[in-house]
Amino acid sequence: MMFKEYAAQLDDKHDKYERIVKHSRDITIESKRIIFLLHNSNTDIESKRESILEEADTRLKAVIDINLRAVAEELRDEDSYQFLRAYTNGLQEFIEALTFYQFIKNDSIDNWEKINNLLKYQDEYGSEFTLVFPQYEYILGIADFTGELMRRCINTLGVGNIEDCFKLCNFVRHINTGVLGLMSHGSKELSRKAYVLRQSLEKMELVCYNIQIRGTEIPKHMLLNVIESSHVKDDVDEGFY
Amino acid sequence: MSTPNKIITEIFTPFQDYINAEQDIREEIRKIMKDIEKPLREITTILQVIHREPNCEQLNAACLNARQIFEEVRQGYAALDNIIPANQYYRYNDHWRFATQRLCFLAALVVFIETGILISKETAAEILGINDKANIHLDLEDYLMGILNMASELARFAVNSVTFGDYERPLQISKFVAQLNAGFRLLNLKNDSLRKRFDALKYDVKKIEEVVYDLSIRGLSQNTAAGDSGSNKEPQE
Repeated sequence: MMFKEYAAQLDDKHDKYERIVKHSRDITIESKRIIFLLHNSNTDIESKRESILEEADTRLKAVIDINLRAVAEELRDEDSYQFLRAYTNGLQEFIEALTFYQFIKNDSIDNWEKINNLLKYQDEYGSEFTLVFPQYEYILGIADFTGELMRRCINTLGVGNIEDCFKLCNFVRHINTGVLGLMSHGSKELSRKAYVLRQSLEKMELVCYNIQIRGTEIPKHMLLNVIESSHVKDDVDEGFY
Repeated sequence: MSTPNKIITEIFTPFQDYINAEQDIREEIRKIMKDIEKPLREITTILQVIHREPNCEQLNAACLNARQIFEEVRQGYAALDNIIPANQYYRYNDHWRFATQRLCFLAALVVFIETGILISKETAAEILGINDKANIHLDLEDYLMGILNMASELARFAVNSVTFGDYERPLQISKFVAQLNAGFRLLNLKNDSLRKRFDALKYDVKKIEEVVYDLSIRGLSQNTAAGDSGSNKEPQE
């Protein structure tokens, strides 16, 4: 009877979906850990910074070569868009970690094309396959990444590094401008993240404002207290589910 | 500040281009969907005859008519196949998923009226003209959704057949839907829309059983006590 066949087809699809969700979770978890690690790089000791960046680099490469590759393998010869929802969260979190790393290292981030090129693989017979990485996922990852910059901005202030605060704020300001300039994206997720982005930016701008206006009045290490008490809005964690 | 910022040019300009290209394709799809939805409505209207006319000839005429109009549907899907990029069926399938489910339902209904058997996925794809296409295909879940929709229509058909004095039809429908129900029980459905739709199938089954029951206790159908698969569920009543 044909329903047996349909049942097998449905099971195959569901199983594949679940496997991809699993990979995606692994990617999310590892990416979050890398981000956490990178927040520790906010230090004056150059050698420590170097070793943290090195470790982050190794771990990011591992995510590309193991976890993301596993997703790509599942999706060979498939319409990836059918399973995109299974791995979009992991992918976005990975973009967040990767761009955060790049920013700390180089003060700039790669564009979509460059990152997309990282997701090309070869099997043992030399034939190529890629992970489908829609630009939406890239932009959504970037939006999350600005949240990390906001956190870093406040941490940086704690260390007393005022110059970096302005630099971070400026960077996020440009991203916000870019998001505002987009026309008719019609994506709910992006609208939501644009809102969070704006809040992060406002927080950072407040930091910069405080530095400017009180910078000469109190010692740098005390600025953080002033700022933290001046905005009581809860830190919005963008979460991942 | 007037020099274009690198973030804008490197990141957001390409993204805007990407969105624009996607919007263009979606616009094209929407146009084609209009060409598919028009015959879809026509066929729906034509097949409503089953609730008015017990006459066999008129049923067959309606099926024939429907089959002719399906030709327009096939042309529409052929056009769709031309503009969907390879391996991106599921990127855009929101546009046609619902229409495809309705069309599967209509094709299944036509086949049921003509032959009394359940349409296979292959046949459904053929009638819709989405078999052997490069970039589009009939999604299994859309097909299953379509035949679940047919079950509701058949429940109505069973009731109305009785009104018109056709006492055999409900028995045929009852047997058919019981088989359908048994078939779906083989599937491991996730907690999704298909599952919800399947959960509603039992109400259709119940409605049809009630009709069969009414006929049986009054001795209105010829093979009332035949004890086939259509009537062996009656103790549940």
